[in-house]
Amino acid sequence: MPNVGAELASVPFGKMIYDMASAIARSQVALDKASIELVKVLSTTTFDYVPDVVETLLPNPRQVKGANGEPLMDADENPIMITGVLVQTDVGTAFPLTLLQAGVNPTFYAFTNSTIEVKMSISSTQESSNTFSVGVSVTASADFLFASGSVSSHVNFTSSNKYSYSVTGSSSMSTTLAPVPPPKNMMPRFFLVNAIDPTKISISQS
Amino acid sequence: MAYQMYMVAFNGAFSQGMSRDVQHHIRKLNGFTLMVMKTGLIAAFDDGMVPFVQAHAGVKLVGGVTLSPHGYAADRLQRIFAENLSKQIEVKTE
Repeated sequence: MPNVGAELASVPFGKMIYDMASAIARSQVALDKASIELVKVLSTTTFDYVPDVVETLLPNPRQVKGANGEPLMDADENPIMITGVLVQTDVGTAFPLTLLQAGVNPTFYAFTNSTIEVKMSISSTQESSNTFSVGVSVTASADFLFASGSVSSHVNFTSSNKYSYSVTGSSSMSTTLAPVPPPKNMMPRFFLVNAIDPTKISISQS
Repeated sequence: MAYQMYMVAFNGAFSQGMSRDVQHHIRKLNGFTLMVMKTGLIAAFDDGMVPFVQAHAGVKLVGGVTLSPHGYAADRLQRIFAENLSKQIEVKTE
């Protein structure tokens, strides 16, 4: 008879879990290294940041001109004026800002859920058959002075046993990789010192 | 198919030709360039295309990035990304 317990016990669960955990750990280290490398790139990639643009609207009165370019006057011979507007633009001085300062953060990944699934199918069949046959034949003959007879018998016995046993198994491993917020220890802290009032220092971290 | 934002760092010294070549490469892979800098660019493309972008000779590193709303210029960057993206998206009308 098949021993299901013994078959299940033969599945190397421990080794499978160890191999999977080991692979996940190696992958996690590689992913973290790539993300840290990215932090370095983001902290050295700069672009020119224009902090502000001031647009001032100034009055720009001017006299309305006629079709030939002559200044137009009203009925009282006063010049016809329109308010007009002049936009004065003052662009603040640009300064280099790193992508990390600007708000571009590297994506960190973590394996959140891992599953090992083992499927096993055990089948066992047993067939046995016995056949038994007995035959007896009697012959007799008689003549004037002579008589004879014979008796013969046979016994046939056939026995067959078929026994089959098969175990099939399959296993699957799956894991989920999800983006997670950057770990505190891997991200730099930003100290903002207000030079106008040096007592005001704000510290931030992504 | 999931589009994500990536930082694509250039390999070696900056050159206009190489930068354009990388941008064209990303466009061929159905990606979009969101912002270009001297040392690299920020692009959005399918996460399945990362190995193909990485395979370009002018690319040193490809890494996923996100935009933190607490960043000093996050809102400005968001506008720049949206503006550049709108220039590359073809809107089809029925």
